[in-house]
Amino acid sequence: MRAERRSGDLGDPGAAAWADAETVTVALGPIALEAQPTEYIRVKWADRPYGTVREVRVAAAHDGRRLAVRLEWEDSATPNTEFPDAGAVYFPTGGDAPVATVGAPDAPVHLWYWQADLADARSLEGRGPGAFRPTGTDRVAAAAALDGGHWAVVLMGELGDAGAARVGVAVWDGANEERAGLGAVSSEWISLEVV
Amino acid sequence: MTHVMEPETGPVGQVSMVFDLNKCMGCQTCSVACKVLWTREAGEEHEWWCSVNTQPGRGTPRDWEEMGGGVREGQPVPGHQPTRAEFGGGWDFNYDEVFYGGKGRSVHLHAVDPGDGSTEWGMNWDEDQGAGEWPNAYYFYLPRLCNHCTRPVCAEACPTGAMYKRREDGIVLRNEDACQGFRFCVEACPYKKIYFNYARKVAQHCIMCFPRLEEGVAPACARQCPGRLVFVGMLDDTEGPIYKLVHEWGVALRLHAEYGTGPNIFYVPPLAPYRLNDDMSVDYVTPRIPPEYLESLFGPRVHQVLDTLRAELERVRAGGTSEILETLIVYRWQSLFGPFTTDPATLDRSPASVAVALGTKPA
Repeated sequence: MRAERRSGDLGDPGAAAWADAETVTVALGPIALEAQPTEYIRVKWADRPYGTVREVRVAAAHDGRRLAVRLEWEDSATPNTEFPDAGAVYFPTGGDAPVATVGAPDAPVHLWYWQADLADARSLEGRGPGAFRPTGTDRVAAAAALDGGHWAVVLMGELGDAGAARVGVAVWDGANEERAGLGAVSSEWISLEVV
Repeated sequence: MTHVMEPETGPVGQVSMVFDLNKCMGCQTCSVACKVLWTREAGEEHEWWCSVNTQPGRGTPRDWEEMGGGVREGQPVPGHQPTRAEFGGGWDFNYDEVFYGGKGRSVHLHAVDPGDGSTEWGMNWDEDQGAGEWPNAYYFYLPRLCNHCTRPVCAEACPTGAMYKRREDGIVLRNEDACQGFRFCVEACPYKKIYFNYARKVAQHCIMCFPRLEEGVAPACARQCPGRLVFVGMLDDTEGPIYKLVHEWGVALRLHAEYGTGPNIFYVPPLAPYRLNDDMSVDYVTPRIPPEYLESLFGPRVHQVLDTLRAELERVRAGGTSEILETLIVYRWQSLFGPFTTDPATLDRSPASVAVALGTKPA
């Protein structure tokens, strides 16, 4: 996936700057039940589908300083007042971080995390499914639009975060009470070429 | 990667409480003492870390005893995520309309439901309804807070590691900066005593007033109780009333011990007045609160405990003495609080002292 330098308001998912950006469709799937981090989660979700969003369309662009990643996916029609929809992109930060479990205890990833009911996006360190901690320092911004039954979300952060040239994607369907390691994730790193 | 407390790293101390339900009058002073101290901010309106419910009753959140969670045969039991409607409470009222909208004579003050059903229930919705028919209606009050369980299934369920059980006193705490609001803890807790702060998007629960305990001050719920019924102390302090009530005399029991988490809040079960016969004579044999109902809450040993309490009462009535009753009567208020007898009014609250405690510079 190429992230070209573009002018315009990249932070707006509906901006014209995104109109002709290269978009890749990424297949998503659930993280294996055995990989879920706590016994409670494994027992509770043993017979229940999760990671239900099947694919996400991804595009990327930058303005020389900030990288923006735009995600677009079909939203579950069922409303849920308790759990919000969410989406994230993540980058390996050390070692051979696994994409399909959103990092590992000894191989973390850096998440730019958006959640529909949060005013601000979160910058998180991921060391496994749902094993997320705030990084405490990085500035991440997000903007989202729910239109015609699908979400369009832009996550923006420091261009340097994408230094490993690989990005993973995760999406959580709030209506299905998906959160933590119960989201749908990309099974392979998406290569990212900043040009 | 399961966050189970290993025995060698588990708590070496356990702060504990005993509530004597025979003395609880349902005044909610404990609830309000906690509320005023800890849950006054936005997003905490519906949170009552300490609450008192009428039993039998549906409690808070509504029908919490049917929501699962806890441990069975060593395995966690799936739990229900209580909704905003099931907790209820935290209402807004139509103040503007009644007080400033010119409708003071035509519109009643009422709670305004934001569309989530939260005005259909509250922390004490079924107060004093109880059960039974006149003249044998019955009920009693049950104060509840986090049980700071020996096996904290809440912490075990959390994928972020934000929750932990403190080694020195067994208090179950949460690093709110690390909490991501995933709420597996809320589901896993069989007592449904963890709340979700909808403004800050973090889960929250009773912290056993640990900043007070650290300065020798009893938790607010215990210290403010006008009924002198809340004992606080270390569970293994063999000289303290908690150890004696729980272990030595065995008259304080766990609520729903079958939930499997080893709660560290104990209750002296309630005796009841006797039933009245149709001719209004007293039936000295049949207690008004059905023993099987108490067994459903406190387990099969409740019958033995009530027999013990009745025998102690008989002994005192006959002119004898009872160490158990002397303890439960609490002639000396301070005897409730074990090592936590410090008067908070005597603590140094100068700006410099507060700044040190908060890690900030004085103004």
